[in-house]
Amino acid sequence: MTTSLPLFLGSLLLLPLLAGLIPKVKAFLTGKKGPPLLIKYYTLIKLLAKGSVYSTSTTFVFRAAPVVVPAVYLTALLFLPLAGMPPVLSFSGDIILIFYLFALGRFFTICAALDTASPFEGMGTSREAFFSVLSEATVFMVLFLFCRLSSSLELAGFFTGSKAINLSRPEAGLLLLVVVAMFIVLLTENARVPVDDPATHLELTMIHEVMILDHSGPDLALLELGAWCKLYFYAVFVANILLPGQVSPAGLRIMAFLGSLLLIYAVIGVVESVTARYKMPMVPKFILTSFAFAFFAAILTLEWAR
Amino acid sequence: MLIVVGLLLIATGGVLPLFFWPRLVAAKVPAVFGIGAGSLLGLWGAIVALSAPQAATWACDWLGALRLSFRVDILSAFFLLCIFAVSFLAALYSYHYLDDPSKTTRSVFSYLLLAVLIISMALVVCADNLISLALAWELMSISSGFLVFYDYEQLENRRAGYIYFIFTQAGALFLFTAFGVLFAQTGTFDLTGAENLSAGVKLAIFLLALVGFGSKAGVVPLHTWLPQAHPAAPSHVSALMSGIMIKMGIYGILRFYLVLAPETPAFGRIILVLGVITGIVGVAQALAQNNLKKLLAYSSIENVGIILIGLGLGMLGTASGRPTLAFWSFAGALLHLLNHALFKSLLFFGAGSVMHGSHTLEMDRLGGLMKRMRFTGLAFLIGSLAICGLPPFNGFVSELLIYVSAFRGSTLEGGDFLFAVMAVVSLAVIGGLAVACFTKVIGIVFLGEPRSIAAGEVHESKLSMKLAMMIPALACIIIGLAPMFLIRPISATTLQLLGRAAFPGADLRPVYINISFGAAVFLGIIVLILGLRTLLYRGKDIVQAPTWGCGFTRPTARIQYTGASYASPLVGFFRAIVPVRESFDGLKGLFPGLVNYQSLSEDRAEQLSVEAVAQPLVRLMKRLRWIQHGNIQLYIAYIVVAIIAAAMLISYPVFLP
Repeated sequence: MTTSLPLFLGSLLLLPLLAGLIPKVKAFLTGKKGPPLLIKYYTLIKLLAKGSVYSTSTTFVFRAAPVVVPAVYLTALLFLPLAGMPPVLSFSGDIILIFYLFALGRFFTICAALDTASPFEGMGTSREAFFSVLSEATVFMVLFLFCRLSSSLELAGFFTGSKAINLSRPEAGLLLLVVVAMFIVLLTENARVPVDDPATHLELTMIHEVMILDHSGPDLALLELGAWCKLYFYAVFVANILLPGQVSPAGLRIMAFLGSLLLIYAVIGVVESVTARYKMPMVPKFILTSFAFAFFAAILTLEWAR
Repeated sequence: MLIVVGLLLIATGGVLPLFFWPRLVAAKVPAVFGIGAGSLLGLWGAIVALSAPQAATWACDWLGALRLSFRVDILSAFFLLCIFAVSFLAALYSYHYLDDPSKTTRSVFSYLLLAVLIISMALVVCADNLISLALAWELMSISSGFLVFYDYEQLENRRAGYIYFIFTQAGALFLFTAFGVLFAQTGTFDLTGAENLSAGVKLAIFLLALVGFGSKAGVVPLHTWLPQAHPAAPSHVSALMSGIMIKMGIYGILRFYLVLAPETPAFGRIILVLGVITGIVGVAQALAQNNLKKLLAYSSIENVGIILIGLGLGMLGTASGRPTLAFWSFAGALLHLLNHALFKSLLFFGAGSVMHGSHTLEMDRLGGLMKRMRFTGLAFLIGSLAICGLPPFNGFVSELLIYVSAFRGSTLEGGDFLFAVMAVVSLAVIGGLAVACFTKVIGIVFLGEPRSIAAGEVHESKLSMKLAMMIPALACIIIGLAPMFLIRPISATTLQLLGRAAFPGADLRPVYINISFGAAVFLGIIVLILGLRTLLYRGKDIVQAPTWGCGFTRPTARIQYTGASYASPLVGFFRAIVPVRESFDGLKGLFPGLVNYQSLSEDRAEQLSVEAVAQPLVRLMKRLRWIQHGNIQLYIAYIVVAIIAAAMLISYPVFLP
């Protein structure tokens, strides 16, 4: 509690920096100069200073989304252990609360988009609803496996304490399968290439960006903040698995954690530079691959598989 | 005692309107008052009975031959609680809902049938021997069947009613066979003495009863009557049927589970697998529907699936000696049953309100209702969030309990591990699909722009309908935030299912405290962000403008995404269970004119039951048509001959194999 609260608050301050890292990596790999590293801070300040335009089609649901969405992901971050430290809050069963809160956030994002009566936003919602069903199956498969490995039902039990799940465990081999599976979920849930292209400006091809097309000003800033928290949540989830065990001095452990976190953000940038967005019919197959990995990893823990 | 008085009041409320015919309002007042007050009394009685140390019993001989016997134990009391809660709301809602003076006669009669339906459901859960159970069961089926015929002018409603009767009678056939086998084995009509039967006989009885109870509960593939009957009935009857009547099937399964007291895990596995299939097929079908009430009916099938997953896990836990696991899942399933009764009646009331306001239930003709029906829209939004199991609403509490139990199954080995995996993954998929399904309802029906003139001219419902929506909506929120007050009834009922006294692992309090804590944290952050947002918008320009059309400057309401197009990718993914028939005459030439596109989703189970069961049966029966000649004397002769033949067989058993 004492060490995790500063880490949590520090993370909040670093969120825009981490999000700004991906375009920088992309620019570097394609030989461009790219936007400044602090670009997301500038965007945030710009948006917060503005007013808003609301569509005459919309109702209170449209205005509720920018409140619910960041609240959902901030709550989730409170329960997430950072750098192997106990999280700010924790209780048995919090994993279910967190992933159902994510569904609540999705519910409001989708409804707010449909509230604008725009056909483009409708298109985005339809895809969002489809792909998240599939990635949810993977997530719960992974949670089930982690529950088996750590015999606990909270994120704190997964990533801290004596039964923490990371690469120092004897099951490191199958944990790599989980890392790949969760990375695919990360790309899907955060609308990254190859599922979605956050850089595109063609509404027909987008998923997440098109759903927030009509939000503006501070409302858009709050939604962006939620999106960064979400990306950070999944990145930390994977980074925690990648940690090489409980490194003893806390300083070194935080360094190792930051290292793997930066690695994940960099890999997202690399993936975006070397692959193109899949055609929509390919995406479900891509996501279901992650379920196959997670399921296979779970089966490997059974006694008869040893 | 309170329950008996309550039932008498409900009966009075059913009969009195007949004297006031043909004055609709004069007939409605005593009916609503009688049924409503009776339900409240019954509710009180059920709450008392839940904590009563001993079961109340009542028995009498009827016509000298049939012994009727009733008993209110904790399981019955729990179901009575659900019945009376929804019947109160249904009676309240009906006051302003049944306001068409041209339908006075049938409205007056519908109150009689409604009272019979409520009473018979109460008798089903109190029945203590096979005869009372069979009588109450049939009374329930028949009264609800006639309520489906309410709008009998439309062919599809008549069809729905007939299909319902066919299903309910075929189900009863299996049920009475199960009763017969049970009677033959134990030698008594009482629900006792079945514990000592052999495992094979128990399984046979259970499977026969499962067909009967399952067809009432809407277990796939015996569900096909449900999406036809529920849209046909008036909305308060749909709420009662969907919220409560289909749960009588669940009650039957639970009662027979208790009576048979099985030791093998086979029962749990069967129920779990049925639950998974029912849940996924139900929600996938719901997603494909265009008729709002049909969608809600399929969603009820989905929720029956979730309840069965919980019950299956509980039975598995009991059979494998893990009482804690069993406790959590039974508690989750029971709570979900109560929750579903609340939010499903809320949603059906909302659908009835939409029907009242716009005279259509076709989702692709609606849109933008939130602006003119703010109350209904908000209530429907709460109901949708609750039915998706999202925190901080009541659906989340019950789904969490089932999840916790299923996650505890992760330490199992071999086949049981796979059953636990199946439970968790299917719950996750069902949850995701439910979100897709209800964002479709909210987004297409209540948000956006009206897709037809009627949808733009809707009006809000009147007071009694609003009240009937407000009460369950508040209940959904209260149970979601502070489920503490439900600990005792749920624990007591669960312990009866487990057949044991309280034990250390069986404590819901810590989880409920955690749920409240999580909800408080989340709401705290919401308040924080709300405050921040208000601060950020202080003194800023807020401009109203049309939606950004991405360069397209003359949008119409018809370019919006429709419900069918929203659901199309997911429905396509599940095309194996939700076949969609499309017709499209294609674009012709460089400047295509009007084109026609149609899509219609079908139900694979319905197709199969028509092709594999109904059509062969009809072909067979056509060959036997000569028996049906309309000559009454010969019909009487058939009866006499059949009785003599049966008597001969019994008297001279040599003829029997």
